[in-house]
Amino acid sequence: MAMGAVSAEVFVFAAAIAAIGAYGVTASRNLLRLLLSIEVIFNAILLMVVAALASNPSLGAAFSIVLISVVSAEVIVVVAVLIAFYRLSKTFDSKSLEEGGV
Amino acid sequence: MSALAAYVGLLGGIMVILAYYVTTIKDLVYASVTLALLGGFNAAMIALLGMPIVGTFVVIVYVGAAVMFIIIVISMLGGGARETREEFRGVATGFLVASALLTLLMATGLYVAYTKPGTYSLSSVSQVLASRYLPALGVIFIALAATLVEAISIARRAE
Repeated sequence: MAMGAVSAEVFVFAAAIAAIGAYGVTASRNLLRLLLSIEVIFNAILLMVVAALASNPSLGAAFSIVLISVVSAEVIVVVAVLIAFYRLSKTFDSKSLEEGGV
Repeated sequence: MSALAAYVGLLGGIMVILAYYVTTIKDLVYASVTLALLGGFNAAMIALLGMPIVGTFVVIVYVGAAVMFIIIVISMLGGGARETREEFRGVATGFLVASALLTLLMATGLYVAYTKPGTYSLSSVSQVLASRYLPALGVIFIALAATLVEAISIARRAE
């Protein structure tokens, strides 16, 4: 099997994982589930980046490491926001955000 | 069928199943543990594609720190809370995202981007970061420092 076929296989799996993540983001009203689904999408995007930049592995590795660092920092901020929100409203339902928050 | 394609297929299939469980398991603690497993399999797939340093970084920084942080926070706050779902909206968005990504893949020809496992080292990666992308790296460091201050500020404000 040609290597291009492996690349196509990886992209198809990454697209399927990103689609499942998008399903989780829009189907649930729970803010914690939203965070988990966004992380699923991140995993798919990272896989796509690695496969797309495989021909230049130094650049691909540098880009991936920066991407992982930024997403890890983003997780910390989002969790801090969720904890602050939960302390005030005692719920994780995004409906209460739409209705004017706490 | 090559051994690489078989391993990629196996790992990809497992990852799709785990991603589905992350978005559907009722208990959020189990969902976050499944996310950690998904990150582990993602690292294995990345190492298989020829970037073991990135795979190690995923395990140490992403799974070991970020996802563990999520698991601990969800365990402390309680993951069994009731959840309202809108299945139709989710399925429609999932189909739209999959169609858009696959169209992009076909239109740009990215599916032939991977030609062979590349060779690189830690020094070549640091050279790329420290020479060509140094300004971008500086901006990222400042942004991450601001993010850290932001997270501490948000967490302390609610006390």
